[in-house]
Amino acid sequence: MEDYVIEMLHISKSFPGIKANDDITLQLRRGEIHALLGENGAGKSTLMSILFGLYQPDEGVIKKDGKEVRISDPNDATALHIGMVHQHFKLIDVFTVLDNIILGAEDVKLGFVQKKEARRKVRALSEKYGLNVDLDAKVEDISVGMQQRVEILKMLYRDNEVLIFDEPTAVLTPQEITELMQIMRNFTREGKSILFISHKLNEIMEVSDRVTVLQKGRYVGTVNTAETTKEELSRMMVGRPVQLVVQKEEARPGKPVLEVSHLSVMSKLYHREAVKDVSFTVREGEIVCIAGIDGNGQTELVHALTGLERADAGTVTLCGQEITAAPIRKRSKAGMSHIPEDRHKHGLVLDFSLEQNLALQRYYEPRFQQNGFIRFDEVRSYAEQLIRQYDVRSGQGPITRARSMSGGNQQKAIVARELDRDLPLVVAVQPTRGLDVGAIEYIHGQLVAQRDQGKAILLVSLELEEVMNLSDRILVIHSGEIVGEFDPKAVTVEELGLYMAGARKQEAKANG
Amino acid sequence: MAEMNEKSYSRLERRRTVGASLISILIGLVTGSLLILIVGLTTKNIGLSGAWEGIRLVFGGLFSTGRDMATGVLTFGFNPNTFGNMLFRSTPLILTGLAVAVAFRTGLFNIGAPGQYLMGICVALLISLSIPSSQVSPVIIWFLAFLGGMLAGGLWGAISGALKAFLNINEVIACIMTNWIAANLVTLIFSGSNLRNLTENTKSAYIYKTSVNNVATAKLGLDKIFSDSQVNGGILIAILLAILISVLLNRTVFGFELRATGSNRYAARYAGIVDKRSIVLSMVIAGAMAGAAGALYGLSGNTEFYWSTYQSLPGVGFNGIPVALLASNSPIAVIFTGMFMAMLDISGQQLKNLTGYNEYLTNIIISVIVYLSAFSLVIRNFLVKHDDGVSRALSSLGNSLRGNKRKGAGK
Repeated sequence: MEDYVIEMLHISKSFPGIKANDDITLQLRRGEIHALLGENGAGKSTLMSILFGLYQPDEGVIKKDGKEVRISDPNDATALHIGMVHQHFKLIDVFTVLDNIILGAEDVKLGFVQKKEARRKVRALSEKYGLNVDLDAKVEDISVGMQQRVEILKMLYRDNEVLIFDEPTAVLTPQEITELMQIMRNFTREGKSILFISHKLNEIMEVSDRVTVLQKGRYVGTVNTAETTKEELSRMMVGRPVQLVVQKEEARPGKPVLEVSHLSVMSKLYHREAVKDVSFTVREGEIVCIAGIDGNGQTELVHALTGLERADAGTVTLCGQEITAAPIRKRSKAGMSHIPEDRHKHGLVLDFSLEQNLALQRYYEPRFQQNGFIRFDEVRSYAEQLIRQYDVRSGQGPITRARSMSGGNQQKAIVARELDRDLPLVVAVQPTRGLDVGAIEYIHGQLVAQRDQGKAILLVSLELEEVMNLSDRILVIHSGEIVGEFDPKAVTVEELGLYMAGARKQEAKANG
Repeated sequence: MAEMNEKSYSRLERRRTVGASLISILIGLVTGSLLILIVGLTTKNIGLSGAWEGIRLVFGGLFSTGRDMATGVLTFGFNPNTFGNMLFRSTPLILTGLAVAVAFRTGLFNIGAPGQYLMGICVALLISLSIPSSQVSPVIIWFLAFLGGMLAGGLWGAISGALKAFLNINEVIACIMTNWIAANLVTLIFSGSNLRNLTENTKSAYIYKTSVNNVATAKLGLDKIFSDSQVNGGILIAILLAILISVLLNRTVFGFELRATGSNRYAARYAGIVDKRSIVLSMVIAGAMAGAAGALYGLSGNTEFYWSTYQSLPGVGFNGIPVALLASNSPIAVIFTGMFMAMLDISGQQLKNLTGYNEYLTNIIISVIVYLSAFSLVIRNFLVKHDDGVSRALSSLGNSLRGNKRKGAGK
């Protein structure tokens, strides 16, 4: 008989109108890394929330070390030595690393927290597993990678033996990801067991021993990683074969469309230069990607290009027209469409209907108005056309409130609206963030199709896989500067990572 | 098939919104009735029968025609006087309700209606009393005064709007400031003027009635239908403005921009809408509505306006808030909720005139309704749940009747 540390047997959980988990079985062997794979909405989070005591299953049993247990809240989970690193860290910014680690599990004498013993224990743990942290630094001052190590130390401090990692690599650089993988392997050597939630196939293939795949709340199967392939896993996850590598021809760049020269932008928040003297060109028929770790000036750069913020120096030229200080509507008319980074803040009016959102960039055009009155019939038929063409799914069609749509379909609606305007430049900022494999495949295909029609595409992405897959030219940005330009076919992910982390810099800057 | 679903869906949405408001109103009236019952049973000369009369008046005060002389029983029927007065009182409520609703739809809380209303009264009175009707036709003076009042209210709203748009000052604070500035400014303007009527020493002095200069809002025949009442053409103007605002907001390109800015300022900016302009213009329109309310109040011909407004702000400005809330900020619905609020006022008077109750009971009813209308989202959500249950039950019944013929047809 197998030695299972955790068994979740025939778990079902329904929410009003949806069966989030339908007869799911997950068995975690002692000392293995077990990946849980599935698209958005496949039920991964629900299943883990049940294991962590946040939800109660409608049916099914949970066993720990072969004995049936009831986990009614996270305290029960902690008592069973189950710990979780959440995707969004649960740390207190103004506390020190040590305080964060012991918070909730403090040793108290006469009302005073005893930190000496805690410090010794944490230090021992961090040395044992190579988790390098500065115990006295405040969390707000340390890097995201270190914050994650703090979260891991929190679990270890509580003597957890089952560790759940919820999409742990989303915020890390390639080097940090490699480190994390090593740390996870160290844990299993110590007999700890790891549940690893992800939809990144590369990482799953690299680090896990077995994979359980969920699809639309149902259990698809559990396979040994060594006996499967990425293609096989994605087929299990989506239910059909998926094109993992973007199919595209060689780019045939034409005339320059967007020319950026010596652009600088001050950060409104921190009174420092967020974008420093950046110059580059995007031509017809090519996808240029700005790669970098989050928070290195990408947002400010895009805001200055699209007019959401003012540039402080330099010029931006679109199709020969200078637009450095032009209002947004003028840029849009000059030929810029924009898939924004934050689809809820900028991309959609969430309380408007889908059809109104689809008309958001064009409602004033002669086709949609007559003497200042909106032509609702035109808006409706235009929306219906886009919905059909781009396969945007929603509850009530054109009149669905944007708020009630799924993230993937909201993004599809934005992509439909922006690409259908048929403008020479598309600025796409993290167009696939948070989307599942099927939707990513679709959006990548659309962007490549636009490129092949001769559009200039400026892509900003934090996902290296997307950068490598999609772009014809890569510009790496680090603390507001373009530190290198690469051909994706002639560079490795590791090399890009060094530039992204600021460890290297090309002397000759990108063409200006 | 799909189209039918869409239509019935939007009808369902509307039904839920209206349903939520009606439930708030009903609970308010029932609470008031309970209160009347308690007060009646604990007061010596009212008792159960008096309480029953009170409850009937709360629900049907508008249709009360007094007491039968012989039997002393309450009589009900069409009462032109109460009806006309209800319409007269609802005029400023509809307009200040619009002032709040328009701003709400643009994402702004216009608590500045009292100030905009005062500026409307002030300018309308100044114009209508300063241009001698011996030289200019009173009709022209009336129009000038009305438009002047609207404009003054609009400009007053623009101040708060501009502060919000350009300096990001919370519009609530800006509105409260402009309210008191207006209150003091109006006092300042009139206290030195010769528009004060100081000759009737038996009562406190007031600004001359505009009828002194032969200027007054035309009755347009309404006084014939609703005899003995104060009603005038103002109510028709209020209804017309509500319809115009509704068309402007819901049908025009400009309205689309206002609503987009209101729902999500950042997305509007992203789409090339000049959000600052939208915010200022929305406050101008809102202010103009409150200004129109003030102008119509001043121009009724019978208004004795007491100019020392610095002591307190006019309640009618604030009452626009519940009117708009209850109407879920729909300009057309504001017509009805404004009339409903005026009706409660009339019911209160009838209570006082015909029974031993205090008229302020109706204020409690209004408060309960306002509280509940703030909860209307909760009530709406309850209706959504309820509706889903009902429609699920109905569709499963339908399916079983049709032998599951269309099962899965929706997919």
